[in-house]
Amino acid sequence: MASRGGGRGRGRGQLTFNMEAVGIGKGDALPPPTLQPSPLFPPLEYHPVPLPSGEEGEYVLALKQELRGAMRQLPYFIRPAVPKRDWRRLPRELKIRVRKLQKERITILLPKRPPKTTEDKEETIQKLETLEKKEEEVTSEEDEEKEEEEEKEEEEEEEYDEEEHEEETDYIMSYFDNGEDFGGDSDDNMDEAIY
Amino acid sequence: MTQAEIKLCSLLLQEHFGEIVEKIGVHLIRTGSQPLRVIAHDTGTSLDQVKKALCVLIQHNLVIYQVHKRGVVEYEAQCSRVLRMLRYPRYIYTTKTLYSDTGELIVEELLLNGKLTMSAVVKKVADRLTETMEDGKTMDYAEVSNTFVRLADTHFVQRCPLVATTESSDPEPPPPAPTLVTNEKDMYLVPKLSLIGKGKRRRSSDEDAAGEPKAKRRKHTADNKEPIPDDGIYWQANLDRFHQHFRDQAIVSAVANRMDQTSSEIVRTMLRMSEITTPSSAPFTQPLSSNEIFRSLPVGYNISKQVLDQYLTLLADDPLEFVGKSGDSGGGMYVISILTSYFLTVSHLLSSFLSRFGSRCARIFRLVLQKKHLEQKQVEDFAMIPAKEAKDMLYKMLSENFISLQEIPKTPDHAPSRTFYLYTVNILSAARMLLHRCYKSIANLIERRQFETKENKRLLEKSQRVEAIIASMQATGAEEAQLQEIEEMITAPERQQLETLKRNVNKLDASEIQVDETIFLLESYIESTMKRL
Repeated sequence: MASRGGGRGRGRGQLTFNMEAVGIGKGDALPPPTLQPSPLFPPLEYHPVPLPSGEEGEYVLALKQELRGAMRQLPYFIRPAVPKRDWRRLPRELKIRVRKLQKERITILLPKRPPKTTEDKEETIQKLETLEKKEEEVTSEEDEEKEEEEEKEEEEEEEYDEEEHEEETDYIMSYFDNGEDFGGDSDDNMDEAIY
Repeated sequence: MTQAEIKLCSLLLQEHFGEIVEKIGVHLIRTGSQPLRVIAHDTGTSLDQVKKALCVLIQHNLVIYQVHKRGVVEYEAQCSRVLRMLRYPRYIYTTKTLYSDTGELIVEELLLNGKLTMSAVVKKVADRLTETMEDGKTMDYAEVSNTFVRLADTHFVQRCPLVATTESSDPEPPPPAPTLVTNEKDMYLVPKLSLIGKGKRRRSSDEDAAGEPKAKRRKHTADNKEPIPDDGIYWQANLDRFHQHFRDQAIVSAVANRMDQTSSEIVRTMLRMSEITTPSSAPFTQPLSSNEIFRSLPVGYNISKQVLDQYLTLLADDPLEFVGKSGDSGGGMYVISILTSYFLTVSHLLSSFLSRFGSRCARIFRLVLQKKHLEQKQVEDFAMIPAKEAKDMLYKMLSENFISLQEIPKTPDHAPSRTFYLYTVNILSAARMLLHRCYKSIANLIERRQFETKENKRLLEKSQRVEAIIASMQATGAEEAQLQEIEEMITAPERQQLETLKRNVNKLDASEIQVDETIFLLESYIESTMKRL
């Protein structure tokens, strides 16, 4: 303790190496002490090259964004599959939908029902469109279950999207919540209507 | 494959094809060639998903397959081809400038779908064009076919390798994977198809929505049953040809910057003449006689033969060596040195990169490049920069590996005080380093863009919903007041947020495009230099 107190008086500020060799001469001001971490984005000294602008630049930009969107819509964009569900734990009505969809595939080809209300039209169009998409995919025997679950999931999500992009209909399901569909106008659509 | 490249490939695959394809693709890039079961096992995805993903990747020419002994098929990913996806907008835009909208759509369809038969392409493009035309007009198939033939003639689209035909009397079971044969002669041969028809317009909402889709579905399936005359002949976009075109453009603009418009036109003519004759990676074009050049000049340029000769001599004598003289027959044979042009572009790039550190740094760099080896003192003298600054900049560049030190000892014991230290620039390694930085920066740009979009996802969805509602209400003829009400669903600060988001995303996208141009130059330079060595 005594030596430490004494050490403060003598030999203070001595370093183990020669300061001049590093480049800090005697009497030079030391750099200011750093009180905070360095800024996240250090200020740019020189401006970067300007981005491509003008007709060509904007056209290529628009093309790029369009392509990005287009590729998501193509069948090459594979969405992650839905995990297999344990049917014992879920309410029965959800499972019936799966079977109904299978039946739907056959019934749609024979349109005997005259077109009723616009909501019906919309639902059939949506079903047709999702089924059409599915028809193009190659499915193996084992996969049918998974595919139907995917369809169900995708239908649930895509229903919502399709409603917005659906310009043909007068009514958008989420916007108008009339209780007409609740009872179901026809047997086939009963399960589809409840969202 | 460097980590930066793999990261970039992963981001690109994920954006364009989804998570599953990305996982499989990145795994293949990392581990090289592997059979199906090993892929499924290593990535932990189900076999069917792996199959689907591989189908997509093969369709888009990103993965190739090979049959090895014992009937095992191995798949290999092509990292460089994945990176080309960044350049798709540029390819499409180039086709637009050369062949107008029809050509643009043809190339776009080919790029989006990987491979297509000619009839499929023609049909799709005609349909798309019909939609944009006014009511009542339709696009004729013949016109689209003509553009397609022109694209094939100039080698912008090429045939995919064909399945090798085996005799049907072969009693052996079919091989697990077809062997694809590339027939060099037929690569650009367009099959004789008589495609008659017109583009179909997609039905608008006014018509009977319920009855129509059903009828269309049935007709659609009926159409598929017709035999396709060019079944099995698939076409793809020829990316090398596009690259050649970009390279030519770069050379012409470089000459125009250095000299004047006329000389750049001459160079452009020379390049056009050797478009098809010279393979894309050759260091020099075929020698062209000045008579030929004179004949092929575009009609608007009526300069006399002597003036042309003068220009050619001027170009050949230029120390930058864009054009070289290789003989005297036919009024003088001239070649364009592709490699030199690259070299110049790349060094220009590097020095402009260095202007990040200041224009003086760029000056020093150019100086060392020109003089090849310089001592510390000489640098200060030639560049006319005070010693302290010069030292500082040289060390900065050295630390970033743009400049390297060459030691030349005077004495056998390599004592530092008696050794020459010369600064020198190795363009190839500096180019490689810059390329690596470019990959990293594009990956950063893409990530940032995705981050920005994800942050504002809720807002984006809301605005999309509102737009859809407005569109549907407009279609059914709503009044102004109602539309106003709906528009006000998005508050003013939200609108501003959307604006900022849009601006940022645009900026990031534009930066990606710009960095991609740099990448193109650097990659071509490195490739052509490696081929020469």
